Amino acid sequence: MDFTLSPAQQLLVATARDFLGKHCPPDMAQRLALDERGFDGALWRRMAELGWLGLLGPADLGGSEGSLLDVILLVEEMGRVALPGPFVTSAVVATSLLLAAGSAEQRRRLLPALAAGERITTLALVEEDGAADPLALGLRCQVDGHLTGTKLFVKDAHLADDLIVALGGGELLLLPSDRPGVARLPLETLSGDKAFEVTFDGVEVRAADWLGAPERGADALTAALTAGTLARTAEMVGAAQRVLDLAVEHARTRVQGGRPIGGYQAIQHACADLVRDVDASRGLLHLAAWKVSEGLEASADVATAKAYAGEACLTVARRGHQIFGAIGYCEEHSLHLLHKRIQAASVDFGDAAWHLETVAKAIGLR
Amino acid sequence: MEFGFTPDEQAFRDEVRRFTAEHPPARFPLDGMDAGYGSGAHSRAYLNVLGARGWLAMTWPRAFGGAERPMFFKLVLLEELARAGAPFGPLVGCWQTADAIIEYGSERLRAEVLPAIARGEATFWQGYSEPGAGSDLLALTTEAKRDGEHWIIRGHKIWSSHAGIATHGLVFTRTSRQARRSRGFSMFVVPNTTPGLDIRPIRSLTGEVYHYEVFLDEVRVPADLMLGPEGEGFQALLNGLDSDRFWGRYYKAPALERVLGQLVDYANTTTVNGAPLARDPVARRRLASLATEIAALRALFYRAACRLRDGAPITYETAVAKVMADELGQKLARLGMDLLGPWGPLRAGSRRARLDGRIAHEYLTSLGHTIAGGTAEILRTTIAVRGLGLPADKRS
Repeated sequence: MDFTLSPAQQLLVATARDFLGKHCPPDMAQRLALDERGFDGALWRRMAELGWLGLLGPADLGGSEGSLLDVILLVEEMGRVALPGPFVTSAVVATSLLLAAGSAEQRRRLLPALAAGERITTLALVEEDGAADPLALGLRCQVDGHLTGTKLFVKDAHLADDLIVALGGGELLLLPSDRPGVARLPLETLSGDKAFEVTFDGVEVRAADWLGAPERGADALTAALTAGTLARTAEMVGAAQRVLDLAVEHARTRVQGGRPIGGYQAIQHACADLVRDVDASRGLLHLAAWKVSEGLEASADVATAKAYAGEACLTVARRGHQIFGAIGYCEEHSLHLLHKRIQAASVDFGDAAWHLETVAKAIGLR
Repeated sequence: MEFGFTPDEQAFRDEVRRFTAEHPPARFPLDGMDAGYGSGAHSRAYLNVLGARGWLAMTWPRAFGGAERPMFFKLVLLEELARAGAPFGPLVGCWQTADAIIEYGSERLRAEVLPAIARGEATFWQGYSEPGAGSDLLALTTEAKRDGEHWIIRGHKIWSSHAGIATHGLVFTRTSRQARRSRGFSMFVVPNTTPGLDIRPIRSLTGEVYHYEVFLDEVRVPADLMLGPEGEGFQALLNGLDSDRFWGRYYKAPALERVLGQLVDYANTTTVNGAPLARDPVARRRLASLATEIAALRALFYRAACRLRDGAPITYETAVAKVMADELGQKLARLGMDLLGPWGPLRAGSRRARLDGRIAHEYLTSLGHTIAGGTAEILRTTIAVRGLGLPADKRS
């Protein structure tokens, strides 16, 4: 058993900390969160040059052959700075789907372009009931035929060149986002995450639009949702760590009643609880990501990490507000954006209740 | 990063599992109360069997009769014993005392006490707290005065677990007045047979005896029963605290998992208002949520274990795990009482008691866990000051 990072992982994390500190300062994260498009093309290209956008892919398709654990460590750093943009959407979830389900031709056409930052792909999954459960999907389509229906909470659809559309039978379609009949309608989120309602109005679908073999869609989707779930968990852990660091710094330096507020036990004990919440969340995250990376059965571990971290990291953000007092209420302060990102991530790829049901079955509840 | 156990550790786990299957806890006589920590009751008979397997001394240096097994073997042993519900109450206290004796014990302690620990014969009570010295241990007034080759101890200790059935006390005393409040303390290993010891039971809220108070009236102790450097006892105690907190609670995650498993079985087999309790959405979610917290606790302990093994600095890691272990135990017991409804308050042995009344026992005993070994409040302050670098409050 070993909790320490490998030299390569240490380098990845140190590079990310340094790069994101320079290229995504808090005012930029806030500006992009408020910006309609919320995308910095120059930053995205630099991330491609660092090999991040192809981290999961094989070398012959422009990737850098990292593990899911590597991705998780990187996303923690992105969470720390509330990095805007479609990294999890395109470089984690859609890339996982293309790797697992794409035909050789689709992989060759898309993966190098995704890794190079030249294309962006997103997944259209959730429907009216809000569930992240692939088994709950109702959208159906004859192939060849026409697709009519609605997907909700589709991330970064405005940037996406391609949409992967999950159907009720577990099949996946790969459609260009500009195909006639596709409309992308923005949802206004608290967090500045760019999410869309995507409507399909008699969109023409041909057999060439299947993502890989239709019967392999369900397994690929499960793997991609696992990657997305853990990536969103990593975002929460990174953001919660940042809230903790900021709160401790504030408690050390903010003087009231003649001494730093961190000298008062009420504040000390609150900070002690934040440490527990962040450390425990990270422990579960790393354990689950390691298991997935090793090819071990990990569905209960993934659900445990997401459910626990969702509660714990949100608690960190909320107590952070109390520690910061009035200054945390300001838009120019980093706290609220970190909080909003945690809140958004906690309900993405399944909320705590949904993952707890997986845990309930795993512990043997009938 | 790697979260598995090695083949050696796994093989040892299998060996312990065979052992616990062949030695059902119910076969062993119990001498003292199960305080609910997950280590079961005090059972000298069980400790003797562990000693005969060589497990009590397995990590010690060969020169002291050990087998120099790696530290993680102790983790495996504790996990498997806790999982089996075995009565190994005094085990960790014995290990910690042995480590201190190996580190800085006298020849006499090494020659007499270590072998008795290895056989499972020696067990220890902690003479730390006093009526006027709880969280503020330095307020203690028990004194030892030098008299030739002996020390004479006079004072009053309290909350000493199993003192009446253990063989030795670890008595923390003031041996000199020093300008600095934390200097001038020394630890003694006092055999229970020493004249002048008056060990009186304190009945606990469960109705059983766990704690004792100990009056020391001119207790004469040979100088070579002092454990550790004279006058530096408090520093030694502080240095050992992180390790004590770790080992004193390590088995709690598997023990809580065991209780959770019993509650899951109960929910699966119990009908409430005409429907299976397992299908009650509130019960279901609370049980699942507890399972995630137990997994989180385990992760904290594993991380602390790696740091202890690797000699990495520990500032708050074991304190965080202890507080979480104790508060989680209380939460689980509370959930258990809720699930049991009117059967919850039935004590063990009562007609109609469910789950052998164990949940009621957990409920009551867990109240003491956030107090013993450093209160949750003291530990949170430690985490904040030592771990996060927040300013110490001079008045606290």
